[in-house]
Order: sequence, then structure tokens, then C-alpha cells
Amino acid sequence: MKARLTIAVALVIALLPVAYLLSLAVRPADDVLNSSLLPNTWTWQNFVRVFDTIDLTTMLANSWISATGAAVLAVAVATPAAYVTARRTGGDRLLSVLLASYCAPPIVAIIPLFFALRYAGLTNNVGGLVLVNGIASVPVAAWLLDGFVRRIPVEIDEAAAVDGLTPARVFAKVVLPLLWPGVVAALLVVFFLSYNDFLFAVYLAVTKESQTLTVGLSLFQGDRNVQFGQQAAAGLLGIAPVYVLALAAQRYLVGGLTTGAVK
Amino acid sequence: MNIVDIADLTKSFDTSGGRTTVVDRISLTLPQGSLTVLVGPSGCGKSTTLRIVAGLESADSGTVHIGGRDVTTATPRERDVAMVFQNYALYPHLSVERNISFPLRNSGVAKDVAAQRARQAAERVGITALLDRKPRQLSGGQQQRVAIARALVRTPALFLFDEPLSNLDAKLRVELRSEIRALQQDSGITALYVTHDQEEAMTIADQLVVLDAGTVAQAGTPEELYRRPANTFVAGFIGSPSTNLLTGTLDDGHFVADGVRFGLPGAADGAVTLGVRPEDLIVRPDDAGTGTLEIVELLGPRYVLIVTVGGHRLTAVVEAATVASWGRSPVPGDRVAVDIRADRAHLFDAATGRRL
Repeated sequence: MKARLTIAVALVIALLPVAYLLSLAVRPADDVLNSSLLPNTWTWQNFVRVFDTIDLTTMLANSWISATGAAVLAVAVATPAAYVTARRTGGDRLLSVLLASYCAPPIVAIIPLFFALRYAGLTNNVGGLVLVNGIASVPVAAWLLDGFVRRIPVEIDEAAAVDGLTPARVFAKVVLPLLWPGVVAALLVVFFLSYNDFLFAVYLAVTKESQTLTVGLSLFQGDRNVQFGQQAAAGLLGIAPVYVLALAAQRYLVGGLTTGAVK
Repeated sequence: MNIVDIADLTKSFDTSGGRTTVVDRISLTLPQGSLTVLVGPSGCGKSTTLRIVAGLESADSGTVHIGGRDVTTATPRERDVAMVFQNYALYPHLSVERNISFPLRNSGVAKDVAAQRARQAAERVGITALLDRKPRQLSGGQQQRVAIARALVRTPALFLFDEPLSNLDAKLRVELRSEIRALQQDSGITALYVTHDQEEAMTIADQLVVLDAGTVAQAGTPEELYRRPANTFVAGFIGSPSTNLLTGTLDDGHFVADGVRFGLPGAADGAVTLGVRPEDLIVRPDDAGTGTLEIVELLGPRYVLIVTVGGHRLTAVVEAATVASWGRSPVPGDRVAVDIRADRAHLFDAATGRRL
């Protein structure tokens, strides 16, 4: 009973901002600022007008492409990296060094990144965001995956080595299939981090063709007035598919394939 | 012909207390087709030695030759060895059949040939019905059979067993150890087997090697080690219950120590440690005896008696038939006379512990 009550409270805390976002999104403009929790009158107009105010379709596509690309890039680099940090002597120290770089505020990297991307012709380009978000997320993905690798008994690697595999093939043929739940978890985490990125996107992708949803949402903030209703509608349209994705992938995050590997 | 030669192996690890030497100049030879068991207490270096032979650890110094080839710096895959791990180490994402055929597929054997050989290996360990299952659907004993089949499926130069029975229950351990022995003898492949269980070691070994603090305390046949232990460590480690070890002096054909006096005709005078196997201790009821029964355990065909004599607590094993001839059942508190079979007593140097 106590556990259910705790879950109910946690659920309310987690969903209240989303509920309020929905409440704002279905109000007419003059009803937005009355500070009531529930709307006095209902309208779906914000969901229609939002497409006139910003190019929401392009922004959503840019966000999905950059977040998916960043997740794939980060996990592709972080998975073998985590295998090394988890298995090799001194690997935990290497992981600490890797994580330390993640602790620096990202703003310090903006100017060098801008010039580096401009040099590579990747400013105002979703590819540039994939590269930056992907590389920036490698430490956190490696940290996550390191834990998953450590859950796989080292004797399985050793058995595979004795059974004739090189270290690279042990990783590819034995460790990677067992690491699948961790890979999915890391892909999701990096996807969410990149999808929510505002800082890199607002500095490095400023053209209409390259802007992402987070930058698009900030455009409702005009000089004189703020289109809260439309902003809320755009926000909801942006997070809805991500919520669905998180729910669909939930089962990959629970349990693992290692059950039955060793006693 | 020796299939494996291990010479002067040394291995140290960094520990909180500095550098600890776990394998200290170990040299061993494994004759072709034999089963050699490394036995010793925890931390004696037996598993590290096995892992160095497998190529899973590198030695600080020394050499390993397998089949006449120096493999000291070779990777595990280059050594032509098959290994069975304590915790089975099966591949959980593969079926039993694919687990068994895994080493064959890695060495380029065609899929259908590998599957056929996997079935043959499964047949030898009696798990044919389980070939389509995943490891998590098997019991501990079945999983270890799969691991053994995976080792058997190819014909390596050397089998390595790292405490393969430690995770199984007592009944299964006894059953599986004789199967492992039979399979190894049947295949004719040389094997190196690590266990901390001296009874397991005694029952399956052709050559028994007792390790103590990283060094070879004694190597020989199980009978040699049992009958003529080279030092007090081997005398105490091999045999169950353990050998009685008493420190005292030899004086005029008698061993004397803290309330104990046993006749040992012909032995030279001096400070010694006397070793007496429990079955070589003679106990009989005697109201005027110097010993007192402390614990009486009936183990079916024999009794284990713990006797206090002077300042010593001695263990004796007496056949139940002998006890029956006493005319009464022994109970704690009974007075007994205690003597030894002098011709089977072991004498060790009191200072070095070496056999005299």
C-alpha cells in the first residue's frame, strides 16, 4: 500500500508538468495568462497554428535525425570503449578520465566547436549536430555500458578466447550479443540527451533548414508577447513520439540475457 | 613422453600489502595421456598456474611447453587447449548445440560437420535431449556437462579443468568426477585439473601435485603422497580425517610429548614431529588407559573417535567390526588406551617439517 502511494505521488510529480502543458495547449490565447490549472474554454487551434508560426515538421525531422545519429555514433564508439574500461587493468581510471571531460560545462567548447565545424563545412547542418552531440555523449554512454559489461562474467570472455577467438572477435561474437540490453539503454539515453540539446543547436545550426525542435520552441518567445499556447502545443507534439519510444523500448531496459550464463 | 612441461613459473600480483608472489618457481611435467591434479588450500597458486598454462595469465618468468612447443607468450587460441570453468562459462545466447560446436566453428569446421560432432560429444556426456535448449533452461549439473562436451568436441593437446565440480552438490560431484575421469581416459588426452578437495584429487589423479604458498610441496601418485608424505604440510593436507601431527622428542626408541609416549624402535634421538594417520592410531577400551574419548562419530562401516591424551587431541578411525568386538558401544568420557602402528608412523624434522 505504501509502495503504491509512493508510486502515485511520483507519477503525479512526473506528469504534472506534461498535464499543465496540455492544459495550456488547448486554451485560446486570452485564456493562457489567467493562471488557472484547467482551461475555461477548449480549442485545438494552437495545434493547427503552430505549423504556420514555425516549420515544425522540418524541426521535428532535424531533431529526430540528429538525436538518432548522435545516439548511434556515441554508442558505436562507447561500446568497444566500455569493453576496454570494464575488462582491462586500469580501465576504471580511464573511465574516470573520460567522465571528467563530461563534467566541464558544454559552453566552454562552443567557440572551438563552431570554428571546427565551420572548417569542416558542417555548421548549419544536421550532420554537424550528430557529430557534436554524438561525441559529447560518448562518456556518459561508456559509463552506462561499462556497468553492463561488468555484469557479464569474465569467464565467458575467457572461454571464448580458449575456444579460438581473438579479443576483437570475443567482443563481436560473445560480448556484444549479451550487451544488447545495455546498448539499447545507452542508445535511448543518448537519444534523449541529444533530442533535448539546446545549447549546441542554437549556436551551431541557425538556419531554418537546420534548426531543431528545442530551438523552434524558443522562437515563440517574441519581443513583446509569448505564444504560450502554441509553444505548449509544439512542445507536446515534440515530446509525444519520444514518450512512445521510451515506453516501447522499456522491456529492453529490464532484465538481461546473462541469466543462465554462469552459476 | 611429456606433453606439457612447466619450468620455473613465477607470478606475483600487486596487493594492498605490497607485491605477493602466488606462484613461486613451479616446475611440473605432465606425461602424455595422464591426469594431473593440482590441489591445495585457497591462495596456494593452483588456479593461477592453470590460468598461466591456458594463456589467460602471463607469467613473470618461467616457460610453458605444450606438445614440445614453447607457448609461454602464445595467446589462449594458439595453445590448442580446452578448458572447463568452475562456473561453466557457457554462452547464454547460444543453444546447447551451438555452445558445443562453438570451438569447431571458430576453427573453420563446416556447420553441418560441427553440428554432427557436437551431437556426438553431447551423446558422450548424456545430454542429447538438451541440444536445442538455452543454458538458462538447464540445471547446474547439465550446464557443466555442456561445458565438458564443449571441451571434448575437439581433440586438443590438453584439457584444463578449473574446479569444475565446486558449484555442484555432493552427490553430483561424486558422479561427475568419475565421468570426467572415464572421458579423459577414453579420449587419451592429457589433463590438468585444479581442485581444493583432496578427496576428489585422490580419486581421479594419475599424478597428484600438492601446492603450498605457491610452491610444489610434493608431486607423485596419490598413493605415494598418502603413504610417504614429504613434509608435514602434505601429511596434514592429504587424507581425511587429517593426519595427527605431534611435536616432541625421540628418546631411546620412544616418542615422548606432553603426556604421550609411543614406542618407535630404531628411530634416532632428537626433536621431531610425529605424523600418525587416524587409521594407524590404535584405540581400545581400558579403564587404566591414559586417553579419554571426547567425540564418537559413527560413519557406517567405521567410527571416528576423537581422543584426548595428555595435552593432545588425536583422531582415530576404527573399523565398526573392531568396535563391535569390544562388547560395548563407545561413548564420550570412556577411558581408552592409545598406541600407534610404529611401522606406519611418519617422522618429520621438527624445525623444517621435512620427512626424516
